[in-house]
Amino acid sequence: MKIDLGPVSRIEGHLNVRTTVENGTVIDAQCMGEMFRGFEVFLKGRDPLDAQQITQRICGVCPYAHAIASSYAQENAYGLRVPPNGRILHNLIQGANHLYDYLLQFYQLSALDFVDVTAILKYQGADPDLVKIRNWVKAELASGKPYPAAPFLPRLSGRYIANAEINIGALKHYVEAMELQKKANSASAIFGGKFPHATAIFPGGCTQDARIDLITNYQALIQEVRNFIHSKYIPDLIAVAQAFPEYWNIGASKGGFLSFGLMPMGPTPESKKLFAAGALFNGQVTPVNFELITEDTKYSKYSSPSGLKVRDGQLTPNPRKAGAYSWIKAPRYMGKMVEVGPAARVLVDYYQGNNPKVKALVKKYAGIVGIAPAKINSVLGRHLCRAISAVVIADFLLDETERLSPGEPTMAEIKVPSSGEGFGATEASRGALLHYIRIENHKIDRYECVVPTTWNGSPRDDKGQPGAMESALIGTKVKTPEEQIESLRIVHSFDPCIACAVH
Amino acid sequence: MLDRRNFLKLAAALSTAFGISNLPAPVQAALKKINPATLPKIIYLQGMSCTGCSISLLQANAPSPAALITEYSQLAFHADLSATSGKQSLNLINAFISGKAGEYILALEGSIPDQMPEACVIGDKPLAKYLEEAARTMTAAVAVGTCACDGGIPAAEGNPTGAIGLREFYKRRNIDKLVVNIRGCSVHPDWVWHTIVHLVKVGLPELTDGGSPKLFYAKKVHEQCPRYHDFQQEIFARNLGEKGCLFKLGCLGPDTYADCPTRWWNSGQNWCVDANAPCIGCASPNFARQKRIPFYRLAEAATQKI
Repeated sequence: MKIDLGPVSRIEGHLNVRTTVENGTVIDAQCMGEMFRGFEVFLKGRDPLDAQQITQRICGVCPYAHAIASSYAQENAYGLRVPPNGRILHNLIQGANHLYDYLLQFYQLSALDFVDVTAILKYQGADPDLVKIRNWVKAELASGKPYPAAPFLPRLSGRYIANAEINIGALKHYVEAMELQKKANSASAIFGGKFPHATAIFPGGCTQDARIDLITNYQALIQEVRNFIHSKYIPDLIAVAQAFPEYWNIGASKGGFLSFGLMPMGPTPESKKLFAAGALFNGQVTPVNFELITEDTKYSKYSSPSGLKVRDGQLTPNPRKAGAYSWIKAPRYMGKMVEVGPAARVLVDYYQGNNPKVKALVKKYAGIVGIAPAKINSVLGRHLCRAISAVVIADFLLDETERLSPGEPTMAEIKVPSSGEGFGATEASRGALLHYIRIENHKIDRYECVVPTTWNGSPRDDKGQPGAMESALIGTKVKTPEEQIESLRIVHSFDPCIACAVH
Repeated sequence: MLDRRNFLKLAAALSTAFGISNLPAPVQAALKKINPATLPKIIYLQGMSCTGCSISLLQANAPSPAALITEYSQLAFHADLSATSGKQSLNLINAFISGKAGEYILALEGSIPDQMPEACVIGDKPLAKYLEEAARTMTAAVAVGTCACDGGIPAAEGNPTGAIGLREFYKRRNIDKLVVNIRGCSVHPDWVWHTIVHLVKVGLPELTDGGSPKLFYAKKVHEQCPRYHDFQQEIFARNLGEKGCLFKLGCLGPDTYADCPTRWWNSGQNWCVDANAPCIGCASPNFARQKRIPFYRLAEAATQKI
């Protein structure tokens, strides 16, 4: 029986998942990216400095990651030496953006898969926020209008958390998280100019000054977000994990892991990073080599050749191509399927022993929830690794502010050469992000992006290997095949972004 | 003498004083249909978008985003927030769009691929089909962001999908329907929420020729810029990161209608020029449209002598 799960809600963009279910088990899954804009087409021939602006519009959820990857790529192409303040401000802008994204992903995008909204009807307390929500839901349900209490209802059938106290607490934090994500973004905007789509990020640094009042303002906002992460987000995540322990065994992807590393701690993008880069296969990590990445298109809606390396990338849309089922290409590393994202970032760092804090947090939380670190390859593991990333990044950002030199330059002087090329790689909140720029006659000759959900949401490659999310769905047992809340939870754990994946 | 400018002013004043009879037919129809006693339901659809406008709507300050979607409007469907998913959400969308679930305002984020319908599909059909059907049932539409208004980034030169905005989409189909344009890449949350609140509480706000509320889009960024004095004194930044008027670095404030200089972004935290970043004209209908007009003019600025 074939069942489409699309349009999938509470993700970025246009995703369908075509499942085949037999005897209550998903025996096949196809991830179908259903939106295409053609960034690589319209970037060609533009001024190179347009790139960190245009590519932010690939994704309004994680625009700063694109601005940073594009800036790194251009810095490499221009041979820029970035002043220490410039590199730190890049980190402060990008890091705060990660924090907002983790809160949004857990509360707004994922929590309603687990938390029972209707529990609020039983609320007896006097918290004004909760009383307001309760009265609103009551009035909505009594109103007789179609679709009351939207967007929180209707919802898919399935088991939700039974404990009223946990549900009500999580709902309060859902509303609070909406306020806290704004604070993280305000912090980003102090140096980025605004959010979404920062205008102050450039190759070579940031146009905003490193002023003591701005730094103090940033610290105060991040401190508030950090407090929320520790006092609300992590306890709520643990409560969800304890209510749904089976999700440590559901949704494992069946390939390797890839991370490009996050936030250089020295002057160049290649300096030692807060989270180390690496490709992880069978417990062994090897250094990342961009030349080992190829993109297949047999099942993608392009007539351009399959299996090209990033620097040779081509894009010829072919919307009615026979046999193709997605606008997403199928990138592979050494020809193999990999998962990218928070689990990959944490595992790649953990296996290399790069950041002692990452190792300590993995051990701590694995101990609390009673799992082996290998179980990180699961629905709950991805959520846990987002929380671990949030803790590590929040502490790092506060330390990083102390390393700024107020009054010193924040920007290198930019001179765009007539020709050149460069790769720029970072970790978006959703995983490994790569930009490549080639300049000829002062214009962009080629621009390529390989984006986190391009990896995770990819269709089959030419050899028929499924993408990471497809592989994680296949084999899942589902109670209600028409709805499949189990599959939805798997998809949400990857936090897919289709605008990114196709671009 | 009553010149054209004053005539228009007078006409606007008269139409306010004597009701809505002088306004264009679709606007009148829209105004009559909106019932201030009931909150409008919003069906929020995404075209070729990056979700940046939706994320921006969550950055609303006061009222808070949670209040805006429950007390000031009703977000019947939004793909990023709705608990529902898949078939269930398609049924919900279709119930409204077919006219069976009552009045609603359509909000569209993102552009429409008019020459490649397969480039934006929701469930079992292209976005374009929903928009055509909604034109028969919706009260009015709000085009959220430069993409939905004018095509935006997907319509940049080279535009492989034939991306266009909602007004153009309806115009090509001879559909006469009120579309309020809220430009910005992304939009400022106030621009959208205050327009919706305005629609609900007092009716349609006064619009510019481009179909945007004058509340936010009546003046150019340049006219309101705190560095306008620098411009007059010819104090120009020559390199990125410098103070002074950013015009010579390529600032598009003189060409862009928006109130960023007085409104600021992210709960009043900052805005582009205060971060020494030139305005790139993201609220302009021509945003990023031509390859030969880059966002920045660094080489020119550095070589020019004052």
